[in-house]
Amino acid sequence: MKNWLSTLKTLTWKDLLQEWRSKDMLTAMLAFAILSIFIFNYAMELDPRQRAELAPGILWVVITFSGTLGLNRSFVAEQEQGSFDALVMAVPGLGSIWLAKQISNFMMMLVLIVIVLPIYSLLYNQNLFIPGLWLTLILGAWSFSAAGTLLASMTVQTRMRDLLLPVLLFPLLMPVNMAVVKAGSGIMTSAPVASYQVWLAVLLVYGIIMTTISLLVFDYVILE
Amino acid sequence: MLSWNKNFTFLAIFSGVLVALAFALVLFYAPVEQNMGLVQKVFYFHVSAAWLGMLGFLVAAVCAVLYLRNANLALDAVAASSVEIGLLFTAIANFTGMIWARPVWNTWWTWDPRLTTMTIMAFTYIAYFLLRRGIDDPAKKARFGAVYLIVGFATVPLTFFSARLLRTIHPTIFGTAGSGDMAMTPTMYQTMGFSIFAFSVLFAVLLISRSRLRLSERWLEEQEALEQEEEFGEVSNG
Repeated sequence: MKNWLSTLKTLTWKDLLQEWRSKDMLTAMLAFAILSIFIFNYAMELDPRQRAELAPGILWVVITFSGTLGLNRSFVAEQEQGSFDALVMAVPGLGSIWLAKQISNFMMMLVLIVIVLPIYSLLYNQNLFIPGLWLTLILGAWSFSAAGTLLASMTVQTRMRDLLLPVLLFPLLMPVNMAVVKAGSGIMTSAPVASYQVWLAVLLVYGIIMTTISLLVFDYVILE
Repeated sequence: MLSWNKNFTFLAIFSGVLVALAFALVLFYAPVEQNMGLVQKVFYFHVSAAWLGMLGFLVAAVCAVLYLRNANLALDAVAASSVEIGLLFTAIANFTGMIWARPVWNTWWTWDPRLTTMTIMAFTYIAYFLLRRGIDDPAKKARFGAVYLIVGFATVPLTFFSARLLRTIHPTIFGTAGSGDMAMTPTMYQTMGFSIFAFSVLFAVLLISRSRLRLSERWLEEQEALEQEEEFGEVSNG
C-alpha cells in the first residue's frame, strides 16, 4: 500500500511537472474558457434577474468544454513517445497510472475554476464566492475528469482521437450536468438546502462509481 | 448456440407467429381507450420496444463483463449485435411515442426527462459504434468496446434516477401512478404482457442471427486477409 501511494505520488508529480513546464494545456483551456464567456454574452442577453439562475449552467458549459480540450491532450505525450509500455513495465498496480492522471487532470480543472469564476464575477458584476457553488463545481469537476480521463486513455489510441472524446464523453455526463445545474441554481437562488441536497448526492455517487470502475477496467485499456 | 440448427428455425417461425398474434390482440382484443381513442393502441408496441431497448443494453453490458474476463470474440459479437438491436428498438420506441404524443400532448416532442434520457442513452450507444470504427485490431476493438459498454451501462441507472427527480408528464404504468395516467383494464394488461413476451422472443431470434452474421463477416475478412498474404508471399518468392 505504501509502495502504491509513493508510485501514485511520483506519477502525479510527473504529470503536473510536465504541464507546469509547457503550460500548453492550461493556456489553451483558459483562453477558450474566457472566449466562451464572451460568446455567451452575445448568444443570450443575460438580464440581471435571470443571471443568478443561469450562472451555474453557463459556468458548467464553459468549464466542461474547455476541460475537454485539456483531456484530449492528457495522454498524447504517452502515446506519441510510446511511454505507455515503459509505464506499464515500471509501475506496480496499473490503476495508479489512471489515478495519477485523474488527479492531475482534476487539478487542472481546479485551476480553471479558480480563474474562471472570479473573471465571470467581475464581468457580470455578480458575487460567485459562495462556498456551496464551489463545492458543487468541484464535485462536478471530479466526476467530469474521472469519466474523461478513462475515455481519453482509449480515444488517444484510436484513429479519430480528439474527434471522438466529446461524442463518447458527453452522453455519459448527463447525470452530472443535470446535478451541477440543478444544485447550482438552487444555491444561487438561496433555495432551502433540502431542495437540492439530493443533487449533491448524485454528484458524489457518480464520482465514486466512475472512480471505482475506472480503477477496475484501466488494465484492459493499456495492456495489449 | 451460434451455429445453424433446426431449433433456431423453429424459434424464428415461432417468434413470427407470436408477433402476428400480438398484432391481432392489439387490434381486436384490447379495448379502445376512452380518452385517447385508437392512437392509444400504439402503446403496446411502444412499451415492448422500450423494454427491448433496455434489454439490449443489459445483455450487451453482461457480455462486456464476460468478454473482459475471458476474451472470447464471440461474446464481443453478441455484445455489439445486442447494442445494435437495442438501438433499433429504442428508435422504434421513440417514434411510436411521437405518434402517440402528437394527438395526446399536442406536440411531437417535448423536453420531458423521460424522452431526453432515452435519447441520451441512445447517443451513448451510437458513440459505442463510433469508438469501434476508430479501431482496426479486432481484439482491441472488442476490449475498448467492452470498457465503454460497462462505463455506459453504469451511468444509465443514475441518468434514470436523476430524470425521476425532475417533473415528468410521461405516463407511468408501473409503480406510483400520477395524474394523467390511464386506468388499464385487465384485457389491456394481458395484451401488453403478451406483446412484451412476443417481442422478447423476437429479440432472441434477431440477436442470434445478427451475432451469427457478425461472426461470419469476421471469418470472411480473416480468410481474405490470409489469401492476400499468400498472394504477397508468392510474389515475393517468385
